[in-house]
Formats: sequence, structure tokens, C-alpha cells
Amino acid sequence: MADQADFERDALQYAPQLYTAALRMTRNPADAEDLVQETFLKAYRAYHTFQAGTNLKAWLYRILTNTFINKYRRDARRPSEVDLGELEDMYLYRRIGSEHSAASARSAEDAVLEGLVEADVKKAVESLPEIFRLPVLLADLEGFSYKEIAEILDIPIGTVMSRLHRGRKALQKALCEFAERRGLLPDEVADE
Amino acid sequence: MSDRCDEALANLYLYLDSELDRVSSDRIRAHLADCPPCEHVFSFEHRFKLVVRERLREDVPPEFIAKIRAVLSSEYEIDG
Repeated sequence: MADQADFERDALQYAPQLYTAALRMTRNPADAEDLVQETFLKAYRAYHTFQAGTNLKAWLYRILTNTFINKYRRDARRPSEVDLGELEDMYLYRRIGSEHSAASARSAEDAVLEGLVEADVKKAVESLPEIFRLPVLLADLEGFSYKEIAEILDIPIGTVMSRLHRGRKALQKALCEFAERRGLLPDEVADE
Repeated sequence: MSDRCDEALANLYLYLDSELDRVSSDRIRAHLADCPPCEHVFSFEHRFKLVVRERLREDVPPEFIAKIRAVLSSEYEIDG
């Protein structure tokens, strides 16, 4: 039996972060709460297998993502079926027109970065297919290293990098659409 | 666009994610100090990353931690 006091002291501090990630995975608060509760139950039951001194936070995220994948999504490990299409690098940057007019760029960038509200960013993240959403959340929300993400998702590091890269491009594209609707973008630059 | 610019841009995310070794990272930093267009891209992408993180923050529902403790407590009882 795991030591209850140790477990609560060490693991529960991550509950708010796990909930934040869970909410973007499940897309609703009730499922996010269930997912995190189940994660803690499984973690407690498996705590005797956790090697003290290793990365507890990453270990908890591994349980969280596995639970999510098994419970809510079955397509997460079948990446070949998800196609984001061709996406440009630095999508948002280019769309703002920063490469053409450095002088006015700063204010245009500020308008976009400040004008994208919480709801936009959350919806844009949620619009990503899981195989891209999970690496983006783990890297950009949690700040895990590529190596940690590879361990959490049980995929090779090269796969982490390509999914993260494509996921971020897709996120920028999605946010571009929100920015456009909010009238935050300058008129289309004639470069297409 | 020089070779240095190409190299920097190819490593944009590795740099921002602190995934480069010290030598490569220092070389890019030196290039950025000399190259306003590259510096501009890097700074935009860096700010973008921070904005995403910031906007994704959530308030955890009150009682949430208490609920988890309660779930764990019933598990401890099963354990005996």
C-alpha cells in the first residue's frame, strides 16, 4: 500500500495543472474533473511502482493522457488518418504582414496578440486533432521537454517534434481565423 | 537572407523550447543580436507562445481538491 500522506503531499499539488490540461483534452468541465479524479486514483494504486526521485509530474501526465486516450478517444494513436493539409511556417506572423512592413508590424502584432481572448485560444486548441493537441498542450501549456513528452505519450522524440511543429502551425492557422473575424488583421497582403 | 538566417529559422522552435545545445543556442543568440528581421520573427513567436500559455489558464473549481481527497480517502478504506 502506498503511503497516503506522501502521495497526497507530493502528487496533489499538480491537480490544478492536470485539470487545466484535462479541460482542453475533454472539452468540458465535468469530464475533466472525472478524468483528473480517475488519474489520481490510478496514480495512487500504482504509486508503489513509481520510482522516488524520478519525475512525478511527468508520471502523472502519462497516466492522465493514457486514461484520456483509452477512455475518450480511440483514434489518438492512429495518426496517419489525420491530415492537417499543407500549412505554412510562421502562419500568423506572415498573415499579420510582419515580413513586409517591419515598421508598422509591432502595432499590428500587439493588436492580434492582445485581441485574441481566452475563449479564442481555448477553442483553437480544442479544434486540433488529439495527436497534435496533446503535444502542444504538454509543450506550450506545461513546458515539458521533448524527451518528457516522448515518455508521456510513448512515442519517439522525432514524432513529438513533427507533431508539435504541425500542431503549432495548425493552432496559428485557427487563431488567424479568430483574429480575422475580430477584425484584428490588416487587409490581406497580396502575396499569394 | 543569409545562411545564418536559414539556420536560425530552421531552429526557431528548438531554440524557443530550449532544446538546443549550448553552442547552437549561443550561435543563434549572436545572430539575432545582429539581424533585426530574424530577431523580429523570434520575438513574435516567443510572445505568441507566452500568450497561448497565459490564455489557457483555468481557475480550478472550488472544492475540486477536496473532492479528490475524498475519492482517495474511500480508496484508503478499501486498502484497509
